[in-house]
Amino acid sequence: MLPIDAFLLILRLLFLVLLYLFLMQVVIAITRDLRKAASTNEDAGQAAAVLGHLVVVDSGPSNLLPGTRFDLAPLTTIGRGPTNVIRLDDPSISAENTRLSYRNRTWYVQDAGSRNGTFVNNQQAREAIPAKTGDIVRVGYIQFKLTQ
Amino acid sequence: MASQSPGVFRQYRWKELGLFIIPFLIFLVEMVQLFLATQDTQSSLSVNNLPTIQGLIPVFGLIGVLLAANILFSIFFRKADQVLFPLVGLLSGLGVLMATRLGPDIKIDSLGTQQLVWVMLGIAICCGVMFLMRDTLWLARYKYTWAVVSFLVLLPSVISGLLSIRSGAPTRDILNFGPLHIQPSELLKISIVIFFAGYLNETRDVLTEAHLRIGILKLPPLRQLGPLVLMLTLSLIIFLVVRELGLAMLIYGLFLSMTYLANGKLTYVVASLAVFVLLGFVGYGLFSYVRGRFATVSIDVLHWTQASDELYQNSALQVVQGLIAVASGGILGSGLGLGAPSYVPVVESDMVFTAFCEELGLAGVFAVIGIYLFIIYRGYRIAIEATEPFNQLLAAGLTTIFAIQTLIISAGNLKLMPLTGIPLPFLSYGGSSILANYIIIGVLLRISYNSRVAREGLS
Repeated sequence: MLPIDAFLLILRLLFLVLLYLFLMQVVIAITRDLRKAASTNEDAGQAAAVLGHLVVVDSGPSNLLPGTRFDLAPLTTIGRGPTNVIRLDDPSISAENTRLSYRNRTWYVQDAGSRNGTFVNNQQAREAIPAKTGDIVRVGYIQFKLTQ
Repeated sequence: MASQSPGVFRQYRWKELGLFIIPFLIFLVEMVQLFLATQDTQSSLSVNNLPTIQGLIPVFGLIGVLLAANILFSIFFRKADQVLFPLVGLLSGLGVLMATRLGPDIKIDSLGTQQLVWVMLGIAICCGVMFLMRDTLWLARYKYTWAVVSFLVLLPSVISGLLSIRSGAPTRDILNFGPLHIQPSELLKISIVIFFAGYLNETRDVLTEAHLRIGILKLPPLRQLGPLVLMLTLSLIIFLVVRELGLAMLIYGLFLSMTYLANGKLTYVVASLAVFVLLGFVGYGLFSYVRGRFATVSIDVLHWTQASDELYQNSALQVVQGLIAVASGGILGSGLGLGAPSYVPVVESDMVFTAFCEELGLAGVFAVIGIYLFIIYRGYRIAIEATEPFNQLLAAGLTTIFAIQTLIISAGNLKLMPLTGIPLPFLSYGGSSILANYIIIGVLLRISYNSRVAREGLS
């Protein structure tokens, strides 16, 4: 029979081989993930024909012109801060005011903890609520219409 | 089953399950190895020598808990990251095996069982965190509460540090509640990252537009600078009063990397590094224990002199024994259970890296470091993919904890840096550290789930 120390040597080598096999498996899983992410990004790039617009209906206290159109990205933030997709320089707007996201072919509007709130057809949007084309989205005191 | 619900079948987290197969095999192989190592190695192998099913019960328990977590995630959090959990599972399994192996040597037989229980509790808490944290943004709303929590958590250590300030010796931050030994620093690191993330997310614009000018340094206005200075004071208190070098370094490192992540300004990093070097000199002048640790780094193991012998007697014993253990491991290691790692003091927690070096060898330790790298990579990936800026900062900060901790303690073990007592994530023995690390993993998984759901919807 095999002496135990020889068997232990085999176990030791087996352990190391398994450990590196695991690392290889992880590398494969990660590269597959990255490829998938890259290809979905390309798809998104092709489909990035603008998904919708916000058109100013009532500019409230701000100096925006009614009729101004803003393009919407799949994840659009509206606020006063410089990091927002749509930047509205008005004291009634919070640094980050509103978040619009496009999921399953529907727009969802959610307030981002702003001072003056976000409303969809006069309904306050503390949680994400769906909005369809033609709905009035009120950000602070500025009213927009959601269009294609 | 499959015909009845093909959707469920397809939606299972197969990738995660697939990644679990090899770790499970590794656990079994190492448990058998551990069992055989205690036998007479000259005798020949027979069925009687192999461990019975009962001997393997701990490993099966661990496998069961990991599988249960896999099933639970498949049902409730299908979209959470699938690579992170197997990596963490393998590391904590290795930690349990090492604790099982070290237990008898350091005269605490139940060490492995205790560690196993902690890991199981940790996985349960990880799942709990994922269920409770529906929206991570509420953490940002209470950021000053978290800052207060950090100070409160530190208070007992500060008091004990003040009481013993004359001795100048390092304290260990351990709270004793009856049989429980709690390490508050483990909670501290999480609350501090939450505070930093919330605070930096809110003030990132202000911090980028500098207002105060002091010489060539441009600083943000005082009101925004206040909390940052407060946190630096905290790390200074840890350094000077609590005299816990590793924790102070961890918090300072977190502060540095997170401010850089938030505003990408090199001035802050350079200025903070300069302050760090200055503080290092101050500490070196004030505390004999800091001098001792730096002297330890300078010890020359190859050319042993009278001076090194004195140093060895005074302070360098732990590090030198650790180096001997590392060297005796060689490339393939002695094999689990066949080395003699228990000559190193505190081998089960702070110095566990040397035990891994000795028994798994250079090859094994490279693989372990590789696993850490993948965990950190995955954490930053989750941070990049997060949709909210706060979540990005939070995920990046929490991942940075792992990175800095691993770096500080493994470099300390290998005499590349002064040795400071903080645990190696997932591998060191210790309940607080395991639980805290699993809370971090829970938050990371929840963030990855939230951001994928926000991107793709639930289907």
